[in-house]
Amino acid sequence: MSDFERKEICEGVTFTSITDGRFKRGRMGAALLSPLESKTAAANALLSCVLTRSCKRYPDFTALSRRLEELYSAALYPSVRRIGDYQAVILSVSGIEDKYTLDGESISTELAELLCSIMFDPNITDGHFSEEDVEQERRQLIENIDAEFNDKRTYAINRCIEIMCENEPFSIGRYGKKEDVEKLTLDDIYNAWKNLLDNSKAELTMLGSTEPSNVYEKFKKYFENKPRKTESKSIVIDKVDKVKRISEKEDVVQSKLVMGFRCMYPQDKQKCIASSLMSAILGGTPTSKLFSNVREKQSLCYYCASRVDNEKGILIVDSGVENKNTEKTEKAVMEQIRELADGNISDDELNSAKLVLKNAYISSLDSLAAIQSFYIGRMNRSDILTPIEAAEIVDTVTKDDIIELARYIKLDTVFSVIGN
Amino acid sequence: MNFTKIENSRVGECYYRMKHKSGLTIIVYPKENFRSVYASVGTKFGSINSKFKYKGREINVPDGTAHYLEHKLFESEDGDAFSKYAKTGASANAYTSFDVTCYLFSCTENFGESLKILLDLVQSPYFTEETVAKEQGIIGQEIKMYEDSADWKVMMNLLQGMYKNHPINIDIAGSVETIADITPEILYNCYKSYYNLNNMVMCVAGNASPDEVIEIADSVLKENEEFKTESIFPNEPYEVVTHYTEQVLPVAVPMFELGFKEKAPEHFASNKELIGTNIILEAFAGEGSALYRELLDKGLINSGFGTEYLEGMGYRGIIFSGETRNPNAVAEIIRKRTKELHENGISPKDFEIAKRCIYGKLISGFDHPSSIASEIINGEFTGRKIFESMEDIAVLTCDDVNERLKEQLDPENSCLSVVKGTDD
Repeated sequence: MSDFERKEICEGVTFTSITDGRFKRGRMGAALLSPLESKTAAANALLSCVLTRSCKRYPDFTALSRRLEELYSAALYPSVRRIGDYQAVILSVSGIEDKYTLDGESISTELAELLCSIMFDPNITDGHFSEEDVEQERRQLIENIDAEFNDKRTYAINRCIEIMCENEPFSIGRYGKKEDVEKLTLDDIYNAWKNLLDNSKAELTMLGSTEPSNVYEKFKKYFENKPRKTESKSIVIDKVDKVKRISEKEDVVQSKLVMGFRCMYPQDKQKCIASSLMSAILGGTPTSKLFSNVREKQSLCYYCASRVDNEKGILIVDSGVENKNTEKTEKAVMEQIRELADGNISDDELNSAKLVLKNAYISSLDSLAAIQSFYIGRMNRSDILTPIEAAEIVDTVTKDDIIELARYIKLDTVFSVIGN
Repeated sequence: MNFTKIENSRVGECYYRMKHKSGLTIIVYPKENFRSVYASVGTKFGSINSKFKYKGREINVPDGTAHYLEHKLFESEDGDAFSKYAKTGASANAYTSFDVTCYLFSCTENFGESLKILLDLVQSPYFTEETVAKEQGIIGQEIKMYEDSADWKVMMNLLQGMYKNHPINIDIAGSVETIADITPEILYNCYKSYYNLNNMVMCVAGNASPDEVIEIADSVLKENEEFKTESIFPNEPYEVVTHYTEQVLPVAVPMFELGFKEKAPEHFASNKELIGTNIILEAFAGEGSALYRELLDKGLINSGFGTEYLEGMGYRGIIFSGETRNPNAVAEIIRKRTKELHENGISPKDFEIAKRCIYGKLISGFDHPSSIASEIINGEFTGRKIFESMEDIAVLTCDDVNERLKEQLDPENSCLSVVKGTDD
């Protein structure tokens, strides 16, 4: 069905191709990883927007957009993602496969060239990106950062992490801080570009039915003989002296309660999967402990879910509650974590979480975006894991593995947005 | 097995359709080499179907009933469906929109077992005073969550500003007050009227064959008496209610939706009409358009700017939406440019580019079993066939699109909805 190939272009630069003829749309991308630092995080985020706005071949935003439309809704997207204390800048291009075009033209070669153009041959004159491009994208990035406040669920989670990891790079956030974005100069953007291409760990992906060797050669030409550091460790905290509690008042009807926990940093893939399974049992499915006890049995909230970040070693439980129920909800959540640590996990709970997790891993194989995201999410790690292998590991996790991980969980921060 | 095979060479795919003896329309859309399968059962019953004729009797139900019924159907006498799905590993969900309610799951193993649970769920209503009352707390919380949601409020306020009588102007979940009036009897009445299998469609897309689907359907579907429930809609004037509406919520960047109301005949739009509208919107307001560039250069929009065509029985309208520091300026420019658009029409070059773009988007939709299933289910209710749109777009001309434009984007008939923060 599909051919998986993984090659190292040089130290720290990996090319993964999955040749798969099932899809109407192909996809390729480059993820560039660098340590999260206030200033560079902002510069990288702004750079990713500037790069996808124009390039030497299409120096004007409208000309580039029209070309993408003409290429049957081809898309060029910038995105940034936090992976532990690191920031990944991801530049992707996607478009329909050649055989589906209306008059048989080939667009895949064009898309590969476009991706290379925006990365290696951007719209730079005399060592500077276009000021107009930078200003336009700066304004939009600031609006995006501001707008994260508009959705209260996301805002509350981000704020909890910010408070919890105050003295760690992780608190910076994927776009960097607004104040830093405001201060960036044209030189900062140019340096960010140079630095990302020449010093970042890179994960290049090519997914779809296009012959991967064409794309591989293009990437190789640039990246060959430019090795970069591959070691990357995030700060993991396993001691909590005092639980931090912060609450903000807002004019909202439903209050938000977010609890941040420190948990074990999983060293290998076996432990990573066990950790994800633990979170699924706690609050990742409609029959999880949090959903069935805190929402269904006690009707304390509309949602109560947990998610674990294996790259950072933290677990977040978030819920939407009525004002008067915040304390009760907090107690109920702690009670469910205790149950987990005490080993009060029924076979049904364990098995259904396993099924859900396996379903998620295997289903990801039916979407190129999900496959790309799966590999990028693990680019900080040296061991290779495929979605199929992940599903196989799920079956080997035991109740004792879960108990061991659950005992490690420590409450670090409680953040709430309280309605008037 | 009485499946009809429907093929399309452009897409390179096919599906199988049949009317099952139980009354249910069944569609199986195999996706070769896919790992997962997505199954969805839908009924043409959404929040706007609050007034209807059932066997000659006229019935009015409280706002939010369709959504309430969706929640309650998950429970049957022998337990709730989520715990049953927990044993098969399927990821299950349901949603209620303005005009449909769908129950769905996706899975990679134990497909047969999960399909039985799904078909059983829609066939075994169990509503008692106690179970109905219990749901008020959870749905009340859901309603409150939506009251804080700026994107939801900006849209609902817009619909209230556009529609005077049509129930599209009412929140899908109703309000805490209206759901308090919902009783088991009301739920049973709706169930009998709209969950008759003759009013429903099932689509299974992905890693499944017609044979395995029909085997399970035969074993669990009960035959339903054939009849039609008639939904009743009030008359709706052509004009919008108001040209401006706003609400203050804690937001950092104001949000806007600008809706252009248009004439809505008593039938659904055709594939050709929908594609025509999509091409107009891409050419007029897509990222490569002069309008997009103008708004961007003036610092009025960001990449969140977008357009949508809202269409159903008795309502049709085009919506522009986004975040902006100056909603009035955005609206003024868009209104002004629509006037020019009507004067000049869409140029052949813009048409060609937009057509290729929309064609690419349509073909990309076939990568996702979930979007295939919802397109097919909606298509069964609206009379639109999924493959036909691919053929319609291939032959569509610039003249067709400019003809379509005449009925749309009337600059005199629009409403601007704004959600802004206290300081704005």
